[in-house]
Amino acid sequence: MNENGNEKYNRRDFLKSGSFATLMSMMGGVELFAQNNQSAAGQIKPAGPKVKVAVIGLGAWGRVILDTLGRLSQAEVSAICDTYGAYLRRSAKLAPAAKPIDDYKTILENKEIKAVIVATPTHKHKDIALASLKAGKHVYCEAPLANTIEDAREIALAAKAAKKQIFQSGLQMRSDPQRLFLLPFIRSGALGKPVMARSQWHKKQSWRTASSDPEQEKALNWRLNRATSTGLIGEVGIHQIDQAGWFLNAQPISVTGFSSLIKWTDDGRDVPDTVQSVFEFPGGVRLLCDCTLANSFDSDYELYYGTDAAVMLRENKAWMFKEVDSPLGGWEVYAKKETFFKEAGIVLMLGSSKQSSFEEKPSEIPYVTATLSSALENFVRNAGKISTAEEDFKATVGDDDPNALIEHLAGVPREPAAGYLEGFQAAVTAIKANEAVLSGTRLAFKPEWYELG
Amino acid sequence: MNMQRFATAIIISIATLNSLSAVGQMARFDSRSGSKVRIEGTSSVHDWQVEGKLIGGHVEAGPNFPTEPGQTVQPGKVDAKVEAFIPVRSLLSIEKDGKPYKAAMDDRMYEKLKSDTNPKIFYYLNELVLTEPAKSKDAPYIFEAKGDLVVAGATNKISMPVSVLPLGDKKLKISGKTNAKMTDFGIQPVALNIGPLAIKTGDEVKLSFDWMLAQKPPAAAATNQ
Repeated sequence: MNENGNEKYNRRDFLKSGSFATLMSMMGGVELFAQNNQSAAGQIKPAGPKVKVAVIGLGAWGRVILDTLGRLSQAEVSAICDTYGAYLRRSAKLAPAAKPIDDYKTILENKEIKAVIVATPTHKHKDIALASLKAGKHVYCEAPLANTIEDAREIALAAKAAKKQIFQSGLQMRSDPQRLFLLPFIRSGALGKPVMARSQWHKKQSWRTASSDPEQEKALNWRLNRATSTGLIGEVGIHQIDQAGWFLNAQPISVTGFSSLIKWTDDGRDVPDTVQSVFEFPGGVRLLCDCTLANSFDSDYELYYGTDAAVMLRENKAWMFKEVDSPLGGWEVYAKKETFFKEAGIVLMLGSSKQSSFEEKPSEIPYVTATLSSALENFVRNAGKISTAEEDFKATVGDDDPNALIEHLAGVPREPAAGYLEGFQAAVTAIKANEAVLSGTRLAFKPEWYELG
Repeated sequence: MNMQRFATAIIISIATLNSLSAVGQMARFDSRSGSKVRIEGTSSVHDWQVEGKLIGGHVEAGPNFPTEPGQTVQPGKVDAKVEAFIPVRSLLSIEKDGKPYKAAMDDRMYEKLKSDTNPKIFYYLNELVLTEPAKSKDAPYIFEAKGDLVVAGATNKISMPVSVLPLGDKKLKISGKTNAKMTDFGIQPVALNIGPLAIKTGDEVKLSFDWMLAQKPPAAAATNQ
């Protein structure tokens, strides 16, 4: 264990297991960069037949998912589902070959469809996720898993029991190549001793969807109602909070929250449009998390501060700001730098290296969908691998030994993704953080909340 | 004996003989879990290895094929039928320590093995000769096997020593090793230029396998036929 209390990574491991780019960096010449997702290279077609997928829930985010899936070579969107006809009609343009369906149970009866993506309102995830798992589907369930700890636990337990299926939580940053590259970098102590972290998500938008039918409008605006919404901290902040715990390799000890309704005061909502929270992690490290719908300045990013350096993550880029008294590795001298006011940031960016001249070009798709794309691609690939492995197993040794099949499937390597446990833990943290935010109090996280039973 | 009784007796006799021929002469062993296949190769940068855990197919063993530990059998040609296959996509690139290597490497391998059109590697036995009976009850029987290996749709005749270890309880473990050239199967070695590095894989690969088989209970076997 190193001084950061981190058993999994140390500097030597990081360098030893690092990419060719790391080696070159140590020789002095190129910046650190994440190895690009192999299928993004476009040179090798992912193996195996296309995986037939259905998207359930076609709101704004569901349509982003649909659009992103359409760009993945291994995904075939076979069905789209929503109870709201206008959403179904709008989505049909994004997936013209997909069958529009208003009852998700019809999808579950279709044996051809191997995987479903649950992008409905958060409080409606549970029934669909449980039924999908029971029907033998691979499930991608958006984050947070649910709006109550009980529902999130029920989903996680069902996913844990479904040993022949993939369950992926929609914590998409866990599949992001840039963040996967930075994870060992930060955990190895490259920033020195962790000091603090900061994240923000700033937008100027109402979060409201209009409809001529008052009942429909209420249903569409579930995010604005405390009874169904986990608020800004749960619906958006969950990703950044989860990332902080992931990078710091720790669960938060407590959260203190604050909230206000400042801008969108005239539409009857009871969910705040501005929230701030302080998460305390072991070792006196705190994460300050801001989310607002009232001002868009500086958009969204995360910052990690250590005694030797700070790292800022923004979209698919990251920069390291070194302290003058920090140890010099050598490679930083030659690395690409960008100026932020009076600071020089060393670029730690996906595809920024000189190596990119003989690797693929960086993706040109927008960052939000690039991260989602990695998560969905990994889900589809993993679902395809498991489905193929099950078919191959049954074709070679039969299906009379279910335990041997489960053991075989457990040995199939998978692309990085958040599973049921990460999804559950993040949901618990977000739901409780929302409680603290709404009550304006400090709340200590209890270990039993995180127990799956 | 009247003619009707005589005819009935003849029919029963023929049926019995057929049954003996089918069941008593050839014992069928089917694949079960626990198999392992390994392919090792070289490249201008480092060696590589691929492993899989699935071998499908069956063995039909004649009277001189050892199916029980310590069974007395005579050296020489053995009556046996073997059909085996490996699903290509069950093969995975691994590190030297056995950890998974890279999905990109797997995809490249599947592409080279033409898995879209040839999803399985096949082996068909043509001739089996017992060269060395088991030296003890726990020791394997050594054979020389000649057969057809079908990789990426291309067929080549190969000859290799194989060992058959009867495990008791109607179970067998068949192991073997051989070398093969990828170009013999129409597979060109991978050549990549990654910056200053020119990577090229060697043509020759080493194949090894442990194939686990078991005789199914009569009811299950009957259902399969």
